Amino acid sequence: MPLHLTLNGEKHSIEILRRKPYLVLKVDGRTHEIPDWSAESIGEMAVDGSATGIARAFVDEGGRETCFVRIDGRTHEVVLIDPREEGAGHDATRDEIHAPMPGAIVSVHKQAGEQVVRGETVITIESMKLQTALAAPRDGRLLDVLKRAGEGFDRDELLARLEPADEV
Amino acid sequence: MSQSAEAEPLFRKVLVANRGEIAVRVMRTLRAMNILSVAICHRVERDAVHARFADEAYEIKGETPVAAHLDADAIIAVARDCGADAIHPGYGFLSENATFARKVVAAGMTFIGPDADTIDLMGDKISARNFAAKHDVPVAPSVQAQDDMSGFVRAASEIGFPLLIKAAAGGGGKGMSVVRDASELSERARIASSEAQRYFGDGRIYAETYVDRPRHIEVQVLGDGKGGAIHLFERECSIQRRFQKIVEEAPSAPLPEATRAAICDAAVRLAAAARYKNAGTVEFILGRDGRFFFLEMNTRLQVEHPVTEMICDVDLVRAQIEIAAGGGLPLIQREVRANGHAIECRICAEDPDAGFLPATGPIRLLRAPTGEHIRFENALEQGQRVTADFDPMLAKLVVWGRDRAEATDRMVAALKQLTILGLRTNIDYLIRLLEAAAFRDGALHTGFIAEHADILAPATVDERLRDRILIAAALGQRAFREAITVVGEPHASMAGWRN
Repeated sequence: MPLHLTLNGEKHSIEILRRKPYLVLKVDGRTHEIPDWSAESIGEMAVDGSATGIARAFVDEGGRETCFVRIDGRTHEVVLIDPREEGAGHDATRDEIHAPMPGAIVSVHKQAGEQVVRGETVITIESMKLQTALAAPRDGRLLDVLKRAGEGFDRDELLARLEPADEV
Repeated sequence: MSQSAEAEPLFRKVLVANRGEIAVRVMRTLRAMNILSVAICHRVERDAVHARFADEAYEIKGETPVAAHLDADAIIAVARDCGADAIHPGYGFLSENATFARKVVAAGMTFIGPDADTIDLMGDKISARNFAAKHDVPVAPSVQAQDDMSGFVRAASEIGFPLLIKAAAGGGGKGMSVVRDASELSERARIASSEAQRYFGDGRIYAETYVDRPRHIEVQVLGDGKGGAIHLFERECSIQRRFQKIVEEAPSAPLPEATRAAICDAAVRLAAAARYKNAGTVEFILGRDGRFFFLEMNTRLQVEHPVTEMICDVDLVRAQIEIAAGGGLPLIQREVRANGHAIECRICAEDPDAGFLPATGPIRLLRAPTGEHIRFENALEQGQRVTADFDPMLAKLVVWGRDRAEATDRMVAALKQLTILGLRTNIDYLIRLLEAAAFRDGALHTGFIAEHADILAPATVDERLRDRILIAAALGQRAFREAITVVGEPHASMAGWRN
């Protein structure tokens, strides 16, 4: 059973092809030889004859496990997909606006029933002294806006919903 | 600087009315001066680095942690009860609160900062501008909004567009708005005024000439409170996002010597005229035509003070303490020498690829850069959680080089070493910024980040790198590793893959 991961929104899979005399992995159908690797959070890894310094840390929060990987002075986020949740289907994120941070509503620009286009500001929030516009994730009609100006909210709290998109 | 202070401490005990990196930085100097340090902390930060670093720490109460740090009376009560003889306010929080400064003095302690009246004078943008203009410090043509909106629109139109609307009590870009023609002026003024009322409890606004793509140049000054003042050269803080600085340097990127001298002289003139006491910063905007205008004076230690310390080899906190203790200026203008170039990057918990939205999360892995000429100003530790309780600035990385190019190279190398994993930060963005040709060329202005948005966006990840990232993530996972190392049927062990 391959391990499934997503990077920058794209799904990938890794499979163990061989363990001895050295590790061989298959990543999306491409084969890589890994004669040497470290299990530490900061270490080295040799892939196909070239060594790379890596740092990594896992965060298991909000129902998903993310691995932060730092290579060549750049950090990447890899989401590990739990095989039990795989294929659960419906992606609610395109219908809902959630709070990216705890904070308070500054103003509500669109009301329930109004038509919005993708990227249009629905709500302005304030968090850590900074104002941020929350935009519609897609074109559609607002089903409801659950908070009013001045109200507070926690991280990930549902703030507004779009009517389900018409299945064509 | 005078070393004789060590024999008998200038103060016995100083309360630092702040937290995080700046509290630790102030306490470090207090310790070097043989002065006891006192920390204050809200219950959510009882375990915080600054509280443990201090000689004593006391809890302050508040509905929110920020409210606790703004409770002047409670903080003064703690200081008095623990026998502190002075309070250092750091930056932010109560550092520019004249009422706080007055209460500290009324309670029989020393406020390590300017006199309350000076804070009042400079805290109000309109009175500060008027004062600057009176003392021959250039100010941008401006007009203050009155109740009569049509009179304001007429007067503002006479200055010419574009205009910048600002709040009299403002800061941090709140209530600020660029107006490009007369038709939108009154509506924008009304919005700015109500925003200013909401944020600062003061709806007064004014309009001034908008300088297109200006540079932000500021001058570090020290005043003795009797009319004596010196400057410690300028800093360039033109790299900003959301009207807040993220990269600062000293001296500025290339600047004609005559302009530099004129700006520094103007700053000293202002500080001397105000009989300014303690460390302060006079901020200017510099237009592409070489004209510069007074922006505001920050009557406190500045976030970016370390770049000045690195080129001038002075401890500004020590200077603040010596001045507050009545020792006068620790050096004279002639003794101030600048050597080399220093750059500071503000390391923030935020997502530069999503409008610099603040981020929260745990710090699961922390590795600070090491090496000569590197200062990593922080109060972080692995395992700590970054919450929305405080400002998203996590730390400051400051480096020195013999010239700007060397400092830039050293900063890039240090940023690549700096590892903070577990939440989104602007570290990678800062690397791209310092590597940008326009930054290296010194073609800086306050709209730099917006202008170069395309080259500052992350490069796409190619297949080779992508596979390495995925392999690194997989090999970091215990269950996957067990599937490799455990002898036997590999797929069975994959079932319980979650750590």
